[in-house]
Amino acid sequence: MQVHKYDVVIVGAGGAGMRAAIESGQRARTAVLTKLYPTRSHTGAAQGGMCAALANVEEDNWEWHTFDTIKGGDYLVDQDAAEVMAKEAIDAVLDLEKMGLPFNRTPEGRIDQRRFGGHTRDHGKSPVRRACYAADRTGHMILQTLYQNCVKHNVEFFNEYYVLDLVMVDDENGNRRPAGVVTYDLATGDVHVFQAKSVVFASGGCGKIFKTTSNAHTLTGDGMAIALRNGIPLEDMEFVQFHPTGLAGLGILVSEAARGEGGILRNSEGERFMERYAPTIKDLAPRDIVARSMANEVREGRGCGPNKDYVLLDLTHLEPAHIDAKLPDITEFARTYLGVEPYTEPVPVFPTAHYAMGGIPTNIDAEVFANSEETIPGLYAAGEVACVSVHGSNRLGTNSLLDINVFGKRAGIKAAEYANTAEYLPVPEDAADKTLALLSMLRDGNGTEKVGEIRKELQDVMDADMQVFRTAETIHNAINTITRLEERYKNISIQDKGKRFNLDLLEAVELGFLLELAKVMSVAALHRQESRGGHFREDFPDRDDENFMKHSMVYLDEEAELEGIAGLRFDTKPVIFTRYEPMERKY
Amino acid sequence: MATPLKTRISAPRSNDNVVNGIKYNRSNSKRNNFEMLAWLFMRVSGVILVVLIFGHLFVNLMMGEGVHRIDFGFVGGKWANPFWQVWDAVLLWLAMLHGTNGIRTIIMDYAEKDSTRFWLKLILFLAAAFVLLVGTLVIFTFSPCPTGSPAELLPSFCPAP
Amino acid sequence: MASTAANTAPKSDFEAREPESKVSIASENGEGENGIKSYDVTVQIRRYNPEISEEAHWDEFKVQMFGTDRVLDVLHKVKWEIDGSLSFRRSCAHGICGSDAMRINGRNRLACKTLLKDLDLSKPITVEPIKGLPCEKDLIVDMEPFFQAYREVMPFLVNDSHEPERERYQSQADRARFDDTTKCILCAACTSSCPVFWTDGQYFGPAAIVNAHRFIFDSRDDAGDMRLEILNDKEGVWRCRTTFNCTEACPRGIEITKAIAEVKQAILARSF
Repeated sequence: MQVHKYDVVIVGAGGAGMRAAIESGQRARTAVLTKLYPTRSHTGAAQGGMCAALANVEEDNWEWHTFDTIKGGDYLVDQDAAEVMAKEAIDAVLDLEKMGLPFNRTPEGRIDQRRFGGHTRDHGKSPVRRACYAADRTGHMILQTLYQNCVKHNVEFFNEYYVLDLVMVDDENGNRRPAGVVTYDLATGDVHVFQAKSVVFASGGCGKIFKTTSNAHTLTGDGMAIALRNGIPLEDMEFVQFHPTGLAGLGILVSEAARGEGGILRNSEGERFMERYAPTIKDLAPRDIVARSMANEVREGRGCGPNKDYVLLDLTHLEPAHIDAKLPDITEFARTYLGVEPYTEPVPVFPTAHYAMGGIPTNIDAEVFANSEETIPGLYAAGEVACVSVHGSNRLGTNSLLDINVFGKRAGIKAAEYANTAEYLPVPEDAADKTLALLSMLRDGNGTEKVGEIRKELQDVMDADMQVFRTAETIHNAINTITRLEERYKNISIQDKGKRFNLDLLEAVELGFLLELAKVMSVAALHRQESRGGHFREDFPDRDDENFMKHSMVYLDEEAELEGIAGLRFDTKPVIFTRYEPMERKY
Repeated sequence: MATPLKTRISAPRSNDNVVNGIKYNRSNSKRNNFEMLAWLFMRVSGVILVVLIFGHLFVNLMMGEGVHRIDFGFVGGKWANPFWQVWDAVLLWLAMLHGTNGIRTIIMDYAEKDSTRFWLKLILFLAAAFVLLVGTLVIFTFSPCPTGSPAELLPSFCPAP
Repeated sequence: MASTAANTAPKSDFEAREPESKVSIASENGEGENGIKSYDVTVQIRRYNPEISEEAHWDEFKVQMFGTDRVLDVLHKVKWEIDGSLSFRRSCAHGICGSDAMRINGRNRLACKTLLKDLDLSKPITVEPIKGLPCEKDLIVDMEPFFQAYREVMPFLVNDSHEPERERYQSQADRARFDDTTKCILCAACTSSCPVFWTDGQYFGPAAIVNAHRFIFDSRDDAGDMRLEILNDKEGVWRCRTTFNCTEACPRGIEITKAIAEVKQAILARSF
């Protein structure tokens, strides 16, 4: 077992991880551990844009952006965080431009902006052009630009090092603090320990809990699950965003930019049904509303296709030249994967699991909470893995690219500053024992269960019971299935017994994380007896501010029990209000 | 295109990049304009060769009685004229260098070992040098009226033996 | 760009625009193919695991696949249902992360962008790792030499002039100048399809040149000259033989050979 020593260790090399690395790498000795090559991260799949109130094409104001974010999140947003994000968005975009990001330009040569769902002028009056973009590959350009700058600043990457555990120890004051992380080198199968003063989690989301998802195969919630297993709570896990326009049956994302550029959703009667659900901003309503409206159209028999199980995204009234200029990639997806020509045919779409609003709780400095009040010195999280909470119960489009840049930067700076004042904590001799035991259990087990089968059952049940519409009954069914699958997981066996690039083993570990997170997600969903943002309970269709205007916090706790599930403990954290009173959310 | 600038970043970066104990340095090659000039030479010489070769073919094969009039006297007559001496010398040099450089790139592309490349290139260059030397010598030292030859084979301007 | 006409008067424009669909949606529904097409697919995969044997070999699998399935789905089906030891990289599964470049029927492709319906399924599909980079296991190759070449062309914006408070301005034409080469996802399909690269792997390769091109022709960048100097190398752009393998292999449709030619021209223009 090898031990490495760095001031700062960053787990994950997507947008947030690399943004943090650029800051931290210039201030302290930094290592970035990533299970994928950095340019493979799923930030690259983001398409539409990154909102900032630059006011380059029309009047705009960061305060309006704050309001949109809070209203979009159905008031479960911590308002101080939303203010920070909307305010720093402007610098975040300008930083990226100076790093070289090739934004589309206005005729005057400034950064061009376009409309995006839920972003409005003057507190909801009409859609506003706020999203800065680079064709429909804004995420790709952000990821490439950040990687380029990491190369420029000689950031040290450990590619294909899979972090499996966080080493938490007590410091002299009896506080739990991170001493480092345990990683598994995929190429050799060796376990390495990285000792660090600061640890930043930026490992992304957990979309692979669902079958229909826009997420990559590698997005298995590793960071969230590792935190959970080390006594850190997970916040607001019941809130998952379902993106309205995934390619039907595949889940591949068709950006909201398609609607921002004028695309229209139609049902089997050709009706622009969003007019009924959101009369003011129609197809550009926030994602939760559009996704629910689409699912409702299908449920009421107005779906399209042989099985009436999707609706249509109509771009045919747009000029092909306009489509080519603004939406080249996504029209290619439609052609490649569905054989549909968007110039002349409407594209079949249906909601797809897209983003976890919840995650590791942090404050606006990206410091991780140990409970509802105290933070853990030296531990940071940013990006989708974290819950600041800036997205509340529903994230607005483009705000994730903003989140990774604003809070990634903050995490990098804070982590380096902390490392420069703190001392190393000793890593215990047995730090890697838990990980080694897990690996040998999975590798050497002689069970009969297969990873692929369990994962498929999990994803099927989550798609059926935990998607856009939820009831106590469906959630109970999901929980029962997950509990059964957890039993079967103990009896798992893998075929690859080698050390070199053992991806079979990797998938088994990931499945363990997925099961754990699915359980937390379901239990939190069961507990929240209201409908808010991305979480819609048919048995409780209204928002209930009196009882549920608070963040849910789920802990792993062997002695506790929650909703009949042993081993979980529930708590709440108050929502931070600054100046916006909750109102009814209408568009 | 951008203007020249001294930057603080030296190029190439990331020398001595070691991953898992393996060095990933690319071979240290010298930076000069040779490959660029070689590339440019191929294009320029190619165009000139088209003119030279087709001019040569036209004069030798098409004009007058065409191929049937080629004999010692015809060649001797041409090489008595400095214009054709220069034409053929340029043709020889450009064609040989063009061909040699072409084979050099093929050796570079297909020989995997440095030693194989070295020996193949050595043979190539020696052969090319030999042909160029002998060819040039012949063109410029060619005597159109060797003594003792029968008069009917010689060009008309040769003095009667 | 085509859209600038709509840049003014957002509100009225938005309210006014209620375009009719050009197709009659109602007529398109309810019909279509019922039941999804299924295929019987035979796939031959090149296997290599130095922990077991230094020799590579071919394994053949027969699987049943459906409708819009891709080669990546075949590999997943084999891995998840038949042989879990099959190893390959993949992540996003829709052609944007660049993990799963491999040689499919002898051509460099992304497995997630190669639809079965586009392949001749009467013969077995062959799947091999990309060429020219050391194979580590099955379809996984060592990507470090590839990224090393990338890093050496200074793939980052260099501009030491006074930093403006707001963004640097760039005209739409200047922005469009290098648009094509910004699409690169570093999948290595181009570089590993290049016969010159196969020989000894010393050639910078199309991907590195594409990424240099992206900055050389960016009006905001000041280090174009240094990159041209780097690529005016024995192993630089002059080794390109314009075989167009790279352009053919690029899953992003980048005109790579053209980009290389533009870099060559830029070096010549700078020298004379």
